[in-house]
Amino acid sequence: MIRGIWDRETVALILVAALAPVAVLWLAEARGAGAVRLVSFVLTIGILHLLFMLARAQPPSAAALVTALALAVFTPEGLGPVQLLLGIAFGVVTAELAFGGWGRNILNPATVALAFLGFGFPAAPWPDVAVQVGWAALPALAFGVLAGVMPGGVVAGAALALGAASALGLPLGPAVPALLAGLALLVCDPVASASTPLGRWLNGALFGGLAAAFLAGWDGAHPVQIVVSAALLAALAAPLLDEIAIALWLYRRRRRLG
Amino acid sequence: MAARLWQVLTDPLVRQNPVTLQILGICSALAVTTALDTALTMAVSLTVVVVLAAGIVSAIRRFIPSTIRLIVQIIVVASLVIVIDQVLQAYFFEISKRLSVFVSLITTNCLVLGRTESFARNNPPLPSMIDALGNGLGYSLVLIVIGATRELFGAGSLMGVQILPTVDQGGWFTPLGLMLLAPSAFFLLGGLVWAIRSARPEQAEAAEHVAPAVAEAGR
Repeated sequence: MIRGIWDRETVALILVAALAPVAVLWLAEARGAGAVRLVSFVLTIGILHLLFMLARAQPPSAAALVTALALAVFTPEGLGPVQLLLGIAFGVVTAELAFGGWGRNILNPATVALAFLGFGFPAAPWPDVAVQVGWAALPALAFGVLAGVMPGGVVAGAALALGAASALGLPLGPAVPALLAGLALLVCDPVASASTPLGRWLNGALFGGLAAAFLAGWDGAHPVQIVVSAALLAALAAPLLDEIAIALWLYRRRRRLG
Repeated sequence: MAARLWQVLTDPLVRQNPVTLQILGICSALAVTTALDTALTMAVSLTVVVVLAAGIVSAIRRFIPSTIRLIVQIIVVASLVIVIDQVLQAYFFEISKRLSVFVSLITTNCLVLGRTESFARNNPPLPSMIDALGNGLGYSLVLIVIGATRELFGAGSLMGVQILPTVDQGGWFTPLGLMLLAPSAFFLLGGLVWAIRSARPEQAEAAEHVAPAVAEAGR
């Protein structure tokens, strides 16, 4: 990381700023109930961060806002407070705080919490992502990539894979808002995505490819469910993709320089 | 002497717990804990097998050639497991069917072989059996905790008796389906290990990597 003003919280705050359009349009659509939900998620995650600050001296991070927004947009509907608390606490603690806080985690806490809720309460219906929220993800992604806090390669790889799937005749239409919002909120996480240039392209392409495969072959799956599953699997594979990219780089270097 | 035996018995319960400290025998601990009754049956079977195996191996410890000691130990353990399996099939047929292959797999449980190999082979029968009993009870403790948690939150019941009325039956409790799937056993065991090592920091392993010291620019 570049030293100077660039510390972890700068990245987190730029990420929050980049995702502001998504937050604003989602709030405009979800209104009062959405605001209550977002605020209660922010409070829950903030309290967990504070607990770990007191117990383990881990500084709390503004990235809690990003996690809360992702959860508010994608959490299944009709869950009670206890179930939500269980899912959020599981995701945030085991995927982020147990590893030492934001920046040391290997998976996105929101993705893990959503996967937990999805597997734990399969009867709860997934929410529909409004069209304008999906479109708001485009400026969010553009600003994040330009500011250097979101990996451009992941966006490009995902666009490539989904574009290829669309060209092959897969109807992406109804899933586009969920795919775009998932890309901005879950997949383009600067911590949990791959961190080598080639690894990022592969990571994005894997997400796009998995999402396309699920769209084509997973009967009865909701678009959000597809996005969360693809994001979880792509994030799990990210270290492997980095490893492949580094091994290729070493191999080429050895051939060129002997 | 009695104090030492008491320590041999109680050490494996938490301080030297075979499952949470040595991570031995977790495959069966994960597989049979979807309900408390199967977990209890498995815990009792394993405890009986490990105590008897330790006693027998310890009794013949001076006659086992060290080159074939593993074969001898496995024969002893396997014979006991067959007996236990037959007993379960005769008297607890339902549970025996639900435990399926995992009772037979006690033969290959690292915990049993670990105790006979590391303790019973070098100690007289009484301390060996007490050590085996302690380890069996430590294993049982973990199985009961995980089994009770999974059944209570996954189905709202304990030993098949409904404790929390589920939504399907007109109650308020929504079962957490994840608890009945295999990953939840890993989560729960991981959480248990975390809790025990937080309470007893001496169990924590040394860090594999040391983070490099970083400083802000210009300092």
